[in-house]
Amino acid sequence: MHIDTGSWHRYMALPAFLLFSLFFLFPLMQGAVLSFTDWDGFSTPSFIGFQNFVDFLHDARALQDVRTTVLFALGSAPLLNLCGLALALLLNKKFRGKQVVRALLYLPAVISPMIMGSIWYLLLQPKRGLFALLLQRVGVSGQGNWMLSSNLALVIIVLVNVWQYAGMTMVIYLAGLQAIPLEHYEAADIEGASSSQTFRHIVFPQLIPSLKINIITNIIGSLSVFEAILALTDGGPGYDTESLSIYILRMCYGNKTGYSTAVALMLFLIILIPVFISLRFFNKVEER
Amino acid sequence: MKRRTTMVSLIAAVVLLAVTVLPVVAQGAGEKEIVLDYFSGRVETVDWDAEKIAGFEAENPGITVEYEFQKDASNVIKVKLASGEVPDITTVVNQDFIDQGIYMDLSDAAFWNRILPSVKDLCTDLRTGKQYKVATNVTMGGLFYNKAVFTELGLSDAQTWEQFVANLEAIKKAYPDKTPLFLGGKDSWTLGHFVEFWAHGIVKQQLGIPGSRQAFLDNTVEWDAPNGIMENFAKALLELRDKGLLNSDAITATYDNQKEAFASGEAVIINQGMWVVGDIVKLNPAMATNIGFGPFPSVVKGLSPMVLCAEDSVYAISATSEHQDAALKFLEYMFSVEVQKEYSEARSMPSAFIDVESNWSPIKDDAKRLASAYVNINFSTEAPSGLSVDDTGRLIQKLLNGDYASPKVFATEYQKLWDNAY
Repeated sequence: MHIDTGSWHRYMALPAFLLFSLFFLFPLMQGAVLSFTDWDGFSTPSFIGFQNFVDFLHDARALQDVRTTVLFALGSAPLLNLCGLALALLLNKKFRGKQVVRALLYLPAVISPMIMGSIWYLLLQPKRGLFALLLQRVGVSGQGNWMLSSNLALVIIVLVNVWQYAGMTMVIYLAGLQAIPLEHYEAADIEGASSSQTFRHIVFPQLIPSLKINIITNIIGSLSVFEAILALTDGGPGYDTESLSIYILRMCYGNKTGYSTAVALMLFLIILIPVFISLRFFNKVEER
Repeated sequence: MKRRTTMVSLIAAVVLLAVTVLPVVAQGAGEKEIVLDYFSGRVETVDWDAEKIAGFEAENPGITVEYEFQKDASNVIKVKLASGEVPDITTVVNQDFIDQGIYMDLSDAAFWNRILPSVKDLCTDLRTGKQYKVATNVTMGGLFYNKAVFTELGLSDAQTWEQFVANLEAIKKAYPDKTPLFLGGKDSWTLGHFVEFWAHGIVKQQLGIPGSRQAFLDNTVEWDAPNGIMENFAKALLELRDKGLLNSDAITATYDNQKEAFASGEAVIINQGMWVVGDIVKLNPAMATNIGFGPFPSVVKGLSPMVLCAEDSVYAISATSEHQDAALKFLEYMFSVEVQKEYSEARSMPSAFIDVESNWSPIKDDAKRLASAYVNINFSTEAPSGLSVDDTGRLIQKLLNGDYASPKVFATEYQKLWDNAY
């Protein structure tokens, strides 16, 4: 008996597509429609055309938040990759307790970023945090207040973020490293290649797929940073370290829901551009 | 084979029928059961609320109260309203929602003749003259101080700004290790309360409570007037900062730090509402008899000191609720003398019900004295919900951080913030 599987197999994807449509496409389209309204979150929305997008371009706080978000991503995404790669290279070597070290390095990534941020806040709080008290104990007083400088506060937020997610980046690089056949290393060894030559000509080209995944996910993660900032500085002082994601939330619940969806679409574009460029770049590299 | 197929089909049909019909039958059987949604944002009374609901349900077998607490209730309720899930009873009320007709008119409810007339006035919507909310308590806000330090230094309630600064300087001189006035500015709402009490209070004193409520509703206050309220307010705060009378981490310390500093004696004065008293006593029970309560001095010359004396613990019923009678029944239960006495003592706040006598706080006597001796101000409930104390607090973070060129610039920024919210 012949069963024609070709005709109904295609419908197997239907449940997943329905769920995807319900929880992603439909809200996305609804958000896009709301971005053209003055909806305050509870009363009847009115259509206002592109006014929200025009307002965004003249909104000093929003533009400051774009700057903060981009600066954060510029610091966080490369650092995450450098640290992740360095850790992966170290942990790709044989030594006792390697599994425990890997687990420990990955552990911060499974903890909620809000909890992680709060723990770091307690450690780093100016004057009252654990580090400040330890410094006082050893006679170093007047350490200053890092939270009052928006640049320094941003650097600390980047470092905390890197500390939390470097383990996750490391795991992806490690998977890439372990997929490289041992014969390639042996061949390089026989040919007398140095460590740096081996890395440049053998390891790095084969890590491109891992690099691609890490760069793209880190760009997306960094440009939509939320919890780490909320826990560490709450966007302060003033709005100096506020990210665009936090701004969207605050506008959404600040009676400017329509406007917040317009800003969310702008953030979508801000994320899409570097992701698209990276994808094109890596696709070209992989084609070579 | 055919017989077996018929049997299987029959069983399947019976099961299908049972699955589809049973829930309908079950629903029909429980038709008389009334389910009330009670949505609360009061973290302090989650257990207490649950206990009272159990008591109400025991007395009213046909009514079930489904209680939902959300820490971020003022935002969560917007999501509920947007999705059409308006709770039958809520503790979250603001002017925008009243204007949208979301709440039931409670003007004819029986409980009003038990409530203080001043609280009823504060519950009255200025646009319609009706009451869409009811407050069961009165809260007060002012300057909490360390009584022992004040007594030792011979200090008393400051009647003027100059006297207030002199008090703080005397504390600093006598106790260089203590903080005269402690701010927990990372939690920006605590700084927002400075604006609410110290700056908005001036308008309330100048225009009176009804006049100021109308002015806030119509956005007619000139916050950026030259040498006006906000400019003087900014000058006053900067004076405290420049004279070293605030904690050095005023912008980055938290509300918890503020409470701990006061409870431990590190801070001598804090600007708070009476909701802080219970926590301070929990942190250090010895402080129960050492908490003094004083008024805010006016930052504008020629005006009297003020104390926040406002409605608290608000309830409203949904205008679209299908069970308004049951919701009123629940409120009547919650408003009974015994329940309100318990509530007043649990929250350390005086009751708004004239027939409720309670031993509500260690600062009870001071609070009575302040309420009668100084100008009483209320919360700015007529300001739009888009203007939060969190936002106003952030302006103060920036002011104290030196981000504004002058107090005048701060006043201009405040006016902008206020205008944008309308």
